[in-house]
Amino acid sequence: MTTAALIGNPNVGKTTLFNLLTGLNQHVGNWPGVTVEKKEGFINDNVKIVDLPGIYAMDTYSNEEKISKSFLESGHVDFILNIVDASNLKRNLYLTMQLKEFNIPIILILNMVDVAEKKGIKIDYVELSKLLSVMVVPIVASKGKGVDEIKELLVNDIFSKAINDNENHYRDDTRFKSEAETYKYIEGILSQCVTYTSENTVTITERLDKILINKFLAYPIFIAIIYLIFQFTFSWVGQPLADLLDSFVNVWFVPHVNILLSGANGWFKSLIVDGIIGGVGSVIVFLPVILALFLCISFLEDSGYMARVAFLMDKIIRKMGLSGKAFIPLIIGFGCNVPGVMSTRTLESEKDRKMTALLLPLMSCNARLPIYLVMAGALFKGHEALVVASLYALGVIMAFFVGILFKNTIFKKDDEPFIIELPEYKLPELKSLAVHTWEKGKGFLKKAGTIIFSVSIIVWILSNFNFSGMTEIDKSFIAYIGRFISPIFIPLGFASWQNSVSLLTGIMAKEVVVGTMGVIYGGNLTKILPTVFTPISAISFLVFVLLYTPCISLIATMKKEYGGKMAAFSVAYQLVLAWVVSFIVYNGGNLILRIF
Amino acid sequence: MSVYDLRPGQTALVSGILGDEKLAKRLRALGANEGVKVKVKSFAPLGDPIIINFMGFDLAIRKRDAKNIVVKDVI
Repeated sequence: MTTAALIGNPNVGKTTLFNLLTGLNQHVGNWPGVTVEKKEGFINDNVKIVDLPGIYAMDTYSNEEKISKSFLESGHVDFILNIVDASNLKRNLYLTMQLKEFNIPIILILNMVDVAEKKGIKIDYVELSKLLSVMVVPIVASKGKGVDEIKELLVNDIFSKAINDNENHYRDDTRFKSEAETYKYIEGILSQCVTYTSENTVTITERLDKILINKFLAYPIFIAIIYLIFQFTFSWVGQPLADLLDSFVNVWFVPHVNILLSGANGWFKSLIVDGIIGGVGSVIVFLPVILALFLCISFLEDSGYMARVAFLMDKIIRKMGLSGKAFIPLIIGFGCNVPGVMSTRTLESEKDRKMTALLLPLMSCNARLPIYLVMAGALFKGHEALVVASLYALGVIMAFFVGILFKNTIFKKDDEPFIIELPEYKLPELKSLAVHTWEKGKGFLKKAGTIIFSVSIIVWILSNFNFSGMTEIDKSFIAYIGRFISPIFIPLGFASWQNSVSLLTGIMAKEVVVGTMGVIYGGNLTKILPTVFTPISAISFLVFVLLYTPCISLIATMKKEYGGKMAAFSVAYQLVLAWVVSFIVYNGGNLILRIF
Repeated sequence: MSVYDLRPGQTALVSGILGDEKLAKRLRALGANEGVKVKVKSFAPLGDPIIINFMGFDLAIRKRDAKNIVVKDVI
């Protein structure tokens, strides 16, 4: 097997090329021990391409650079595919110079040669190839131009034959003492093979930036874009598709399974339909929402706008010890925490990634809304909007304080220097968007799906059995468990076993809290809830719902991205936080009532 | 003086980078070496970070870090 490492600066079209070369033949995971995306793809059975993280240099100590370096040093790399931006060769070749020190054959891929030409940059490829003693292939990845050539080089092993003659050139004739010296060397080379025919005029990017990061317009535009994304995800496309899928499962699939299982035992049928299909189905219907959201994020990311968002938000979010880049995952969390945690991958420093993932669950996701609405409708008629809005705000405030707390305790490390390139705007390619989006969906289905599958079965068993066999729900294991844990909630004011169990099953998915209450209380919740809650215990309950662990999918995702320890810590701190804040709300509220 | 002291639209020549080695190393690798032209393009709406331009690309950095990029010969 031939292994080629694809490496280059950020924003040079690396991902686009990777997708074109490998199609859907990809594996995505994390590099061992760190949350940096590891992508491998195959051109055919004999040629593997490993997509290394986008970096500017080899020696500035970031995680991504360490990973790239140790991978290139591992001895498993036969070729380096070094992709560079043809219109910014000077900076891009800096990395190339460092790559040459590994003594691995390099194919230098000059991307966006059309853009360079438009900018009046003429490159003599033959001369450049000679001067650098590497093979040079000009391409336009966005249009697929030149990609087949690269494929052919790798598949037919033409490259390895061609380099045999000049292998000696790969010895280290290029070790530089300083960055300045390297740049001087690069300039020397470029002066011999690149000519500039026209000066840069005002680019589209500059014109767009005048509007998009304008002093007065920047934030309104940003809010409008976020609003559009949420509309797209939750009103126009994602949620309607999810509803469609949901009704497909419940109206078409379940009845068919029922017919199919008509001869089977009652318990077996219930296990399949209520347990497995109910549980797994509730996750799968998430898929369209996640895909829609990630389509939008990929679009923002590929277009170059995301870097501007980080730029705009940095000052605000820095107070929590995060960099501006963490803002987008947090915003996504309002839709659903799961893609939020998944999108923390795009952050640069490990500290930012972890801290953002830990704070994300405090962003009130959509699944909590049904609970707010039911409770507010039953106990705070006429004030629903106020109650719901306060809860959302409380989540943000809590995230802010917990952020400051974490910043001063477990994440005490110094701030990473904040440097982001603001790339030129461009229209994202459909194929790249599709591949990107599908990757996320696949990962979600695989990992969260298997865990949900097993937990569904466990919950079904618990709510249908006790030691003497199958039984009613209020004599089932789950009722026992409810009675067992309910004392915890006595200081919070809502300690019935029914409420306790609702919170417990709510870990499956927050919407389930309402569903469970519906089943256990067995009737019209709007009438029943005021008899089991006082206004203050209801608020206390809602605060608990807001702050405790969102759902099993989130725990699964957290474990997948950051490991079991972090997932456990996340669950633990949120339970403690939820308990403490609810306690303060309930007892503080009662105290105030007594005084007035 | 440093990049921090430049107004939007002003250009100067880099004469050195101080402070945090991590940051200095990264900036140098990106091409902010002695004699390179650096231009302050604009400030964020809240005043920080700022956008600087050198070697033909835009970079957002925090003002605190901009203080470490020493410049001379303001143009």
